[in-house]
Amino acid sequence: MLGTTLSSCDKGFEEINTDPINILSTTPDKLLAPALVNTLSAGMSRNRSFNNELMQVTVSLSDGDGTVFRYEYRRTWSDYLWNSWYVQLNNFKDIYILAKQPENLNTSYQGISLICQAWVASMLTDTYGDVPFKEAGEGKNGKLEPVFDRQKDIYLDLFNKLEEANTLLGKGQEITALGDPVYKGDVSKWRKFGNSLYLRLLMRVSGKSEVAAMSIAKIKEILDTKASDYPVINSNAESAVLKWSGQGGSGPYVNPYYNGVRAQDFRAPSICKFFIDHLRDWQDPRIDISTYGTGGVNRLGINPGSTGFSGVPSGYAIGTNLNRLSYFYSYDQLISDVAVGNKSLQQSATTGILLNYAELQFIRSEAALKGWTSASAEEHYNKGIAAAINYWVPAFSADPSSAAFNKYVTEADINWDASLNTEGKMEQIHLQKYYALFLVDMQQWFEYRRTGHPVLPKGAGLRNNGVMPARMSYPVYVQSANPTNYKLALSAQGADEISTNVWWQKP
Amino acid sequence: MKKLWLLTILVFLLIPPGSLQAQAQVAKNKKISYAAEGVTLKAAFLELEKLSGFSVSYNNTLLNDRRIVKIVKRERSLSEIMSLLLDGTAFTFKQADDGKILIITRVADKGKITGRITDESGQPLPGATIKIPAVNVSAQAMDDGSFSLSAEPGIYDVELSYISFQTLTKENIRINANATTRLDASLVSGSNDLTEVVVTALGIRREEKSLGYSVTKIDSNQLTNAVSNNWTDALSGKVAGLNLVRSNGGPAGSNKIILRGENNLTGDNEALIVVDGVVINNSGGRRTANASDGVYGTGSDNMPADYGSSLNDINPEDIESVTVLKGPGAAALYGQRGANGALIITTKSGNSKKKRIGIKFTSNGSLESANRWPDMQYEYGLGLDGQADYAYGTSPNSGSSSAYGPRFEGQLFYQYDPVTQTRSTVATPWVPYKNQIRDFFQAGQNITNSLALDGAYNNTTIRVSATNQNNTWIVPNTGMERTSASLSLNSKVTPKLNISTKLNYNNRFSDNLPGNGYGNQSLMYWFIFWQPNADINWLKNYWVNGQEDKLIKYPYSSFPENPYAIVNEFINRTSRNGLTGNLQASYQLTKALNLQLRTTMDLASEKRAQERPYDAGTKLPQGSYRTQDIYGQETSNEFLIRYTKKVKNTLDISATAGGSQLRNKYNKKDLRADGLKIPGDYYMTNNLYPLISIPDTSRYRINSLYGLVSLGYKDYLYMDITGRQDWNSVLATPTRTDNVGFFYPSVSASFVLSEYFKLPKTISFAKLRASVSQVGSGANVPYRTSYTYGLAANGTYPDSALNNPGVLPNPNLKPLKTTTYEFGADLRFFNSRLNFDVAYYAGNTKNQILTRVVDRASGYNQAIINAGQINNSGIELAINATPISVKEGFKWTASFTFAANKNKIISLPDSSIILRTGPIAGGQIVAKVGGSMGDLYGRGYVRSPDGQVVFDGTTGFAKITSDVTYLGNTIPKYKISIGNNFNYRRFSLGVLFDAQVGAVAHSLLNYKMVEQGKLASTLPGRYNGIIGNGVVQNPDGTFRKNDVIAYDIDEYYRSNMGSENAEGSTFSTDFIKFREASLNYTFNPRLLRNTGLSSITVGVYGRNLFIWSPWPMFDPEFGTLSGTDIVTGFEIGQFPSTRTVGFNLIIGI
Repeated sequence: MLGTTLSSCDKGFEEINTDPINILSTTPDKLLAPALVNTLSAGMSRNRSFNNELMQVTVSLSDGDGTVFRYEYRRTWSDYLWNSWYVQLNNFKDIYILAKQPENLNTSYQGISLICQAWVASMLTDTYGDVPFKEAGEGKNGKLEPVFDRQKDIYLDLFNKLEEANTLLGKGQEITALGDPVYKGDVSKWRKFGNSLYLRLLMRVSGKSEVAAMSIAKIKEILDTKASDYPVINSNAESAVLKWSGQGGSGPYVNPYYNGVRAQDFRAPSICKFFIDHLRDWQDPRIDISTYGTGGVNRLGINPGSTGFSGVPSGYAIGTNLNRLSYFYSYDQLISDVAVGNKSLQQSATTGILLNYAELQFIRSEAALKGWTSASAEEHYNKGIAAAINYWVPAFSADPSSAAFNKYVTEADINWDASLNTEGKMEQIHLQKYYALFLVDMQQWFEYRRTGHPVLPKGAGLRNNGVMPARMSYPVYVQSANPTNYKLALSAQGADEISTNVWWQKP
Repeated sequence: MKKLWLLTILVFLLIPPGSLQAQAQVAKNKKISYAAEGVTLKAAFLELEKLSGFSVSYNNTLLNDRRIVKIVKRERSLSEIMSLLLDGTAFTFKQADDGKILIITRVADKGKITGRITDESGQPLPGATIKIPAVNVSAQAMDDGSFSLSAEPGIYDVELSYISFQTLTKENIRINANATTRLDASLVSGSNDLTEVVVTALGIRREEKSLGYSVTKIDSNQLTNAVSNNWTDALSGKVAGLNLVRSNGGPAGSNKIILRGENNLTGDNEALIVVDGVVINNSGGRRTANASDGVYGTGSDNMPADYGSSLNDINPEDIESVTVLKGPGAAALYGQRGANGALIITTKSGNSKKKRIGIKFTSNGSLESANRWPDMQYEYGLGLDGQADYAYGTSPNSGSSSAYGPRFEGQLFYQYDPVTQTRSTVATPWVPYKNQIRDFFQAGQNITNSLALDGAYNNTTIRVSATNQNNTWIVPNTGMERTSASLSLNSKVTPKLNISTKLNYNNRFSDNLPGNGYGNQSLMYWFIFWQPNADINWLKNYWVNGQEDKLIKYPYSSFPENPYAIVNEFINRTSRNGLTGNLQASYQLTKALNLQLRTTMDLASEKRAQERPYDAGTKLPQGSYRTQDIYGQETSNEFLIRYTKKVKNTLDISATAGGSQLRNKYNKKDLRADGLKIPGDYYMTNNLYPLISIPDTSRYRINSLYGLVSLGYKDYLYMDITGRQDWNSVLATPTRTDNVGFFYPSVSASFVLSEYFKLPKTISFAKLRASVSQVGSGANVPYRTSYTYGLAANGTYPDSALNNPGVLPNPNLKPLKTTTYEFGADLRFFNSRLNFDVAYYAGNTKNQILTRVVDRASGYNQAIINAGQINNSGIELAINATPISVKEGFKWTASFTFAANKNKIISLPDSSIILRTGPIAGGQIVAKVGGSMGDLYGRGYVRSPDGQVVFDGTTGFAKITSDVTYLGNTIPKYKISIGNNFNYRRFSLGVLFDAQVGAVAHSLLNYKMVEQGKLASTLPGRYNGIIGNGVVQNPDGTFRKNDVIAYDIDEYYRSNMGSENAEGSTFSTDFIKFREASLNYTFNPRLLRNTGLSSITVGVYGRNLFIWSPWPMFDPEFGTLSGTDIVTGFEIGQFPSTRTVGFNLIIGI
């Protein structure tokens, strides 16, 4: 009798300890949308508060210390992207694992997973330098303290992944449209995004001598010799963009600037002089209110300020008496008693950019300029400008042969100047690319670190010896959470400081 | 007053001095000249017969008297002579009408002792025992404490005793035949009763001297003398080794009780709370914050409110006693949940000795207000970097939260105009509004009334009580109301069958509880951000003009909310009904065998709601209405068979076997309308967007079998052996159950030296005890063994998309096992007037279940792990003394407790494990091999080789390490308390101080207020520079005394104490607290006779009267809400701690 009593003492425990709410197993389609939204949201958040301040899109009006625009950000900045992006990298990696299981076998999800892994991992390594990658997300296999990979190894691995993705997506297996907020299930567009991302990453390391030849050759392959095997983004409609369809506060697809930033904070920083002066001088359609704007608001949602479009110079010294000039509207501001709403970037549907057509054009232009492809740098330069404007101003043609475009570049005096030397042309390309990369995670910063373009004016208040910070330090808690590998990373890369160059930045 | 005393004396004097009856019949008045000169009694009688002419008859066999009597010759009456002759014999005489004298056996003429037994305050002690051991007679006191006891005349030692009171021996009490001796006595309460009975695990009552582990018993009056909002506060300083972590998070603020050190930081380290056999930790007592509500709430979501737990809801007046079983040895029989010790609370029952209904009315009122404030500066106003100018809304930095601005010199600035809500058109003087921030907080008020009735009818005793508590807290518009009722029934149905039940119902209601922590919706956040140059009255109109209900006006930095809006519009409601109860039947099967069945249950149902107005912050721009429906239930069924046998009067054997089946379930439905159509209308159908529903549930079962064998040999040697097997469902996975069962034994022994050896008279009692015990535990958090995907964004994705989990589960989760060795001694000297109780314990915990913060690169935020081994040891000392005790006069009792605990991490699965991270500067609690649990790490000062702070050679700022360094341990090394009680006549005065030493914590309030220049500590150097105390490094690597003037004062202080420098805002939490003071007066019951009342006690008391501490903020003894837990180490926007001053009134009818 005792025996029966004892054996029944754990009867039904398996079922009792099975979580009735959370789910034991899933399919790859269920993981994609939130991972995309969360990765993008984190990138947008730091684009606004970090990238834009470093890259002179905006300037905070504060004498407070530790301001990013003075190249003085603190270690506490480091946790957010690390913590947000790695968790999503895990979700993306899981999609690949799930899509390889016989019951869920799907080559397209495998390919999308690889692209997204490359997307997140590249942002991580470009932000921090050497970071965990191969062992990242391996907690469920017991790796709670992942090894940091060298940035070079990460890049080479990402290239392999993007190569594989191109092959996998070429098979065109269907995916669930509902779970794909970027391309609504259009696998061919994912493939184009993957190859365009491939170009972005190849270009980023193309100046690093040990991999230059290889990456240049690959760029040539993709754009020239094997272009048909590597379809790339070919229009703004194919840009990798997650549209914020949830207006107001409803549902998961709400612009993170609406949910994550207070209205009064969103409109608090002034637009920077560097950013707005060009647009003003060019009479740029993007800030044109009368022709291209709606409801008294231009397409970038910039309030002109009382003195017309003008900005505050960045890097100003403490104690400089400055007032806010032009600024980004918050959604709740009223123009003729009507709230700005989705005409503000805070509620706009179009701020969620992974990689756009214009960026690709400027990559092509740079590759052509450097003689890696047989294309015309000028042609892609113009296409890039037109596409960049068209992205924000649909009424402005993306076709550079249009009259409006010609009028614009001529009056703006930004015609391709064949007489310039390579550096001069790089400045031309990258000044325009800077605007194309507006709102795109930290890409402006990454590109500036790579090329030194566009040349940014330097204020008297700059710290870090007036040098653009090269990275974010590692999150402090990693010192204790992953102590051995943290120390190894430092010995390989250098001190954990914002002035320590990452691999591709080192000469 | 004097007259009253005279009256009392008069009453004493008027008591008739007993009826002094004649001893014998008076003989005829005939006088005889008689002498007996050394003759036998019989010869004397013969002589007397001759002289008087009366015959003297006696029973020859009875009067076998050979003694020689001697009487000097004199003329005496016959009876006089007879008395002299029979004096000292067992005989008397009787003279018949005819004059014949009969010698008869003397009929014993007894005497009486009457009197009254009371406690120190004069309260009667019904049921107290008076005993004359020499003749083995005893009696018990009646309702009013009076007693009457008859005994042979003589001189005796009289013993007066009562459970949980010290036994009093009155020596040389004379009892005269047929007379009444008056004996009033007051007994002193205390644990010094040598045969005190305590309630141990499973409700088994045991004599304390038979226990091989340490227990501390706390009586009701120790809990009610100085009442606070949460009765568990009163445990502070009264039990060596007990540590309270207080949230102080509002009127319902909960406490967490930890016994013997926090050897487990992240999981269950809380003592088991058992009320009348009902474990209330995990259902009604479960603290549940709303999942979204983080105390470091920079995501602008709702801030967590402390909704309290059912432990708070117990009325201390209903508590009979609290037994604290500290070690796992003591709690071995409670199974895994007793691994951290147990508090066994017994509520009062009806008194079977009472012949009539007793009524007791208690009223308690108190006021509470902040007892300590940070030292804030009122010399400089809003601004940065010492800017000289200010104009509201236009000057640089006018949106800043900092007060590194212009000095207050009465200069005229264009400031905020609260009427127009813009910059005033008139310049007004720049002046500080000193300490106005304090006026925002009000005096909290608390009124508690309770009524209790008890009595007996036939074989049934009953007690009912009802309590109502009404509280308004120090934050305006917050408070709560508590109503509870309890019933206790005990019926001896037959001589063999006893049935009892206890039920406690309580309702807690609040229409607003304050939000805690650091985030825009929290008051303490505003406290940090508020400016010294602004008038708090400017905030009272908290809507933007013309935008009422839509836009909140806060004139300065956009981060905080208007505090008046917070208290009036950011509402956290709760209404909670809780029912705990047990039903118990005990049947005496045979003389030796007893069967007990018990069912216990703990039900709690709570409805919460949070209302947020429009403009409530980033996340909730259109307001929000959220409700939670919470239901928790735990039921347990137990059986217990007990066999007792006495072998040859020397060996007591008792064997107990039992089993229990426990089921716990919890459901929470969280419904949210984050966005309202009409502002200010809080109901679900006013939703602007689709409602979000977030379910939460948990369920688990624990089945157990256990046994206990107790042996007692000749009153001096005792031994307990226990064993228990638990099966805990939380260790099962969806596919297997191989880890769910675990067994653990314990052995304990006690040896009463004073019974075995003849010890010197100064030693009244001496006992040694020792125990070895194991406890296993699988914790009680389910679903941590299987990998599951959760709904992303609360299930709002159109295709119900999922996320990987944030916490990595552990499919191989094993139960932890704690082994503890304990040695102790209980020594009492000088008639138990000086008592020592000392305990030393040591042991280890293996496979501790920890939630570990991992590198997010692993893909997860946290992971559930079984840690290696942690050793824990400590010492506890309690001293009780009665230095002065004057009979019926002044009495002084003193108590002292000391507890020290240390632990060492012996092995871990990894070299370094983060248990918790703080909000800033890499602050983190890290476990490392060789370190201790609770070690705090963070970035700190760069120091020269001789330990001096290194300053930057150019800026003059302190240099901060890029690595984390050890900053101290967050668990106090030791705790001390000293209590004194003074009784004089009917007055009693109690004072209690306690202290803790050796821990540190990080203060968010300090770091943030330093960064914003709000503290007086940031004044030096404004704005002509400061040279930090330390060194600078020379180019050659050597150091010189710092000579670099830092002019950037903001940054100078930031470098010293700001967000990057965890060390700078890490402070010692050492304190001495004047914890309690109470003064009570009990009226003389005799004076109340005419009023119909049996007792009145009135008193005043104070709690947390003063704090002496280097801690710069409110209370070094803070606790931070963290989900269902309250944790220490990081102070995150704590509310002010409060001083309570109140009165007590107890009326017995």
